[in-house]
Amino acid sequence: MKKQRKFMLGGALLVGLIGYLMVTGMRDSMVYYHTPTELMAQVAADPGYHDMGVKVGGRVVPGTASFDQRTLELRFDVLDIEGGTAQFPVAYQGPLPETFEEGGDVVVEGRFTQAGVFEATTLLTKCGSRYEAAPEDYLS
Amino acid sequence: MTQIGEIALWVALVLSVWGAGAAFIGGRTRRGDLALSGERSVVAVFVLLVIASLALIAAFLGDEFQYQYVAGYSNRDLSTFYKISGLWAGQTGSLVFWALLLSFFSSLTILQNRSKNRELMPYVAGTLLVVLSFFLIVIVSVSNPFTLLPFAPADGRGLNPQLQNYWMTIHPPTLYLGFTAFTIPFAFGVAALLTGRLDTRWITTTRRWTILSWFFLTNGIIFGMMWAYVELGWGGYWFWDPVENASLLPWLTATAFVHSVMLQEKRGMLKLWNMLLVLGTFLLCIFATFLTRSGLIESVHTFAQNLPIAYIFLGFMSFGIVLSAALVYWRRDQLMPDAHMDSFLSREAAFIGNNLLFVAAMFAILWGTIFPLISEGFLGQKIAVGPPFFNRVTIPIGLILLGLMGVGPVIAWRKASRRNLQRNFTWPVIVGLVTAAAFWASGVRHIQVLLTFSLGAFTMTTIVVEFMKGTRARAVIEREGVALAFVHMIGRNRRRYGGYVVHAGLVVMFMGFAGAAYEVEKEVGGMLPGESTEIRSPFGDVYRLTYQGMSFYEHTNGYTFAASMEVEKNGEPAGIMTPMQRSFNQRQEINTEVGIRRVWNEDLYLILAGIDDMAGIAQGTNPTPAATLRILINPLVPWIWMGGVIMALGTLVALWPSEPRGRIPAEGRHGAGTAARPEREEEHELATA
Repeated sequence: MKKQRKFMLGGALLVGLIGYLMVTGMRDSMVYYHTPTELMAQVAADPGYHDMGVKVGGRVVPGTASFDQRTLELRFDVLDIEGGTAQFPVAYQGPLPETFEEGGDVVVEGRFTQAGVFEATTLLTKCGSRYEAAPEDYLS
Repeated sequence: MTQIGEIALWVALVLSVWGAGAAFIGGRTRRGDLALSGERSVVAVFVLLVIASLALIAAFLGDEFQYQYVAGYSNRDLSTFYKISGLWAGQTGSLVFWALLLSFFSSLTILQNRSKNRELMPYVAGTLLVVLSFFLIVIVSVSNPFTLLPFAPADGRGLNPQLQNYWMTIHPPTLYLGFTAFTIPFAFGVAALLTGRLDTRWITTTRRWTILSWFFLTNGIIFGMMWAYVELGWGGYWFWDPVENASLLPWLTATAFVHSVMLQEKRGMLKLWNMLLVLGTFLLCIFATFLTRSGLIESVHTFAQNLPIAYIFLGFMSFGIVLSAALVYWRRDQLMPDAHMDSFLSREAAFIGNNLLFVAAMFAILWGTIFPLISEGFLGQKIAVGPPFFNRVTIPIGLILLGLMGVGPVIAWRKASRRNLQRNFTWPVIVGLVTAAAFWASGVRHIQVLLTFSLGAFTMTTIVVEFMKGTRARAVIEREGVALAFVHMIGRNRRRYGGYVVHAGLVVMFMGFAGAAYEVEKEVGGMLPGESTEIRSPFGDVYRLTYQGMSFYEHTNGYTFAASMEVEKNGEPAGIMTPMQRSFNQRQEINTEVGIRRVWNEDLYLILAGIDDMAGIAQGTNPTPAATLRILINPLVPWIWMGGVIMALGTLVALWPSEPRGRIPAEGRHGAGTAARPEREEEHELATA
């Protein structure tokens, strides 16, 4: 049975190694997920929050989006998907994401700078395959 | 006419519930007539689901937009091929499709075992019918594809352009074939626990089902990667998206099981572990279906706002977990091992190490995937973890597994002697070290790349040596020629040599993954016709790209902008590439179609990222439109797909029956046939149009 204990220890070491990788990996890649209103409240309470990488889920305000075909700079405003009052501009540089549309829901990852612009490093649009239209969408 | 579909679903539900009850009671009370009724219900449910699916396809083909589901995933202009794929394009239809595939595999199981495993079969049928009942309840209560709109729209919204892609059409059905095929081993596992017949019989009976399921899971995941690569247009194939992760979870535990089951067959070890792997893999298949179809994690909504379907699925999974745990605990005495491990230097140790790593990887990925939900539930804050987390954990695990893949199959059982180690590993170790030295000498300093190639070379050498030794031994003993001996050797040990081929494919695929370390990317804004740009690949080739002009054309349901890029490789002409942007009338989004020029060692990958003055091009008033291009060189990406093909071939070798009496491969062909059929129908439509 002493031998079995040795094997247990070997297995535990292996699992411990994975656990260590998980903990350090979490520390390096954790980002908070906020609504625009929550983010504004956080920044107001703690100016240091400007430098934090965060993810924000919001809705693109119709009429605010502009895309420069040359520099690939995309600018638009976001606000809460439901309720909430906060609205702020987002800047993103890169090809226009495929399913981007005004009034659509997006998740942006980046920092809310001192200048009051959210500089996004990634921009995800709500994936089309899971998009189910509401009945009123067909009326138009 | 399509009302028949909804009626068929309801009758199928009633029959499933009846059949489950009859099968369990018949098995318990040994009433053969009840058990038989239960088993026959499985086949009847299959027939009913075929009717429901045909009715749904008919609704798509007939443009019956009064059905909300049809209106949401089709329109009049959509080709017949994609109309048929509407069956699994969205959540509601895909659940019907899931149930259809499960009832198909279940019926095959019933027919296969009509004169075998009589003690187990009532419980197998009962378990399968419980799973089918669950899906049918979800379908008829909250996810009914035959739900009517209050009015009939003139046209549907059309299928999302991103889904109008060949790989995307076959990706979900392939995964679903994998998920549903694994329900068969699960049902046998539950039946073995219920009856207490926990010898290896249930495992040998379901061995082929396990490999068949693994075959479909592997290919389904690879098809998804291919789709992401050609369709999403960011040059990558894996993003640690929750939906991708979900499909990987059951694959990891299924792969662990394919290996650990050998320890049970040969040494009577890991009985409890194997049972847990089978039960767990099935539950992860359900979890994956649920996650991919509910959009729960990446949804910007909070958990509480999600549909009732989330609660039904979570309820079913909790039921499955509790029941599985209770059954295993009840039979724990019969799940004790016959033997123990003897040494770290043994095949047992290699296999157990492999299993720990696969399961640890599964837990790590599961943790990272559902962390936003966990943190929201416990901390009141939604916190996401990104790709760095997943890479940090899975790359080391992958590298250790890459090395173990060379050790496990050849090291001795019980305890390897010094002689055994020397004989089996001298050459592989030398080849591995030489590879590392050669890469170092040629300037490679990237640690993951060095490890991937040296461990890969080590493992590949063990595989080659195994094939050579086996062939030589057979040639001598049977006095056969080398070629004949090679073929016969594989034929007599299909599972073993098929497994080696799968390993070889995986080595090639890993090397392809390593290529990402040397990816080159360049963005050129506002190129005018006649302008050129150059990009240098890590292999030293220089590509010169000249923008010739932009074409615009309209087609039946949209329009396309295509940039013509003349390619020269090292000064030699190498053809024209046409990255495009497409738009479809029914949807507002723009869809980029990348241009890919593939050679054996790298892909030149072009994205048409921006077009100046689209209106001017469309009206023909702007003869010199500027284009913005993103150019990537993706080294070794072709090896990933090549590795996938080798893995698929290896799995087919393992799957092929050794004796003519086996029936499963024929069933596998039927499964593949359902994916191939729509193509012919499209041709038909083109011919009549």
